[in-house]
Amino acid sequence: MLEKLKKMFTPAGNMQPEEARAYLNEHPEGTFTLLDVRQPSEYDSSHIPGATLIPLPRLSDSYDRLDPEKPVIVY
Amino acid sequence: MLLGQGFKEVYNLAGGIRAWEGAVAQGPVELNLDLVRGDETPVEIIKVAYGMEKTLGGFYRRVGDQTADAELGRLLDTLASIEEKHKQYLMELYLSVEPSGPPAEEFERDVDSTVMEGGFRTDEFIRTNERFLKSVPDVLDLSMMLEAQALDLYIRFSQKTANEETRAILSRIADEEKGHLTALGRLRDKQGRG
Repeated sequence: MLEKLKKMFTPAGNMQPEEARAYLNEHPEGTFTLLDVRQPSEYDSSHIPGATLIPLPRLSDSYDRLDPEKPVIVY
Repeated sequence: MLLGQGFKEVYNLAGGIRAWEGAVAQGPVELNLDLVRGDETPVEIIKVAYGMEKTLGGFYRRVGDQTADAELGRLLDTLASIEEKHKQYLMELYLSVEPSGPPAEEFERDVDSTVMEGGFRTDEFIRTNERFLKSVPDVLDLSMMLEAQALDLYIRFSQKTANEETRAILSRIADEEKGHLTALGRLRDKQGRG
């Protein structure tokens, strides 16, 4: 319980764009999730290849689409 | 939000997509997803990818045949050769997945050659992008755009597929596409310096 509460208030780490680019290139597809939480129109006009679109307002209803064991990079 | 739900590692991309300087893809999630049913076997999906590589190679050759610019002609020849290498990679993948399957010639015969990587159709693509097919920097930008769209489409295919083995194959093809993008980026940097 305490662990869960602690996690809830732990901020996610930041990843610089260059680090993210290296990470995406070095890690095989399927071992991580690249998550786009913007609106669909923003995704349509430009997104990082391979990003999964789940707009922020729908995220809490969509956890089952994501694997909690895999690292997630969010933008 | 995700950390509170038991996600082990979560990272925010600093600066969001505005700070991203890598390749980007465009279009809705459903774009060109109708090119696959979602129940393809690994061999069927390799055939889809092989057809796209073949068609893209044919596109570069076709544009190359029409240009009088020697430097651009050489670049288009290089790009077509790169697609040949991609085809070889997919043929090796096919042979590793189905070593006792139909021979390479038969595999090649069944391939659809109407759609290029990224899901574009050659004639329409040439028509709408004619002005970007006349100089070395423009063609390099266009080829990077095509590879970015291809990478994105293979990953969206993998999200549509119901077959675990097919998904694993698509992930391997997507990883190969990342290599193509990096190689093209290097080629563009080299041209920029030249």
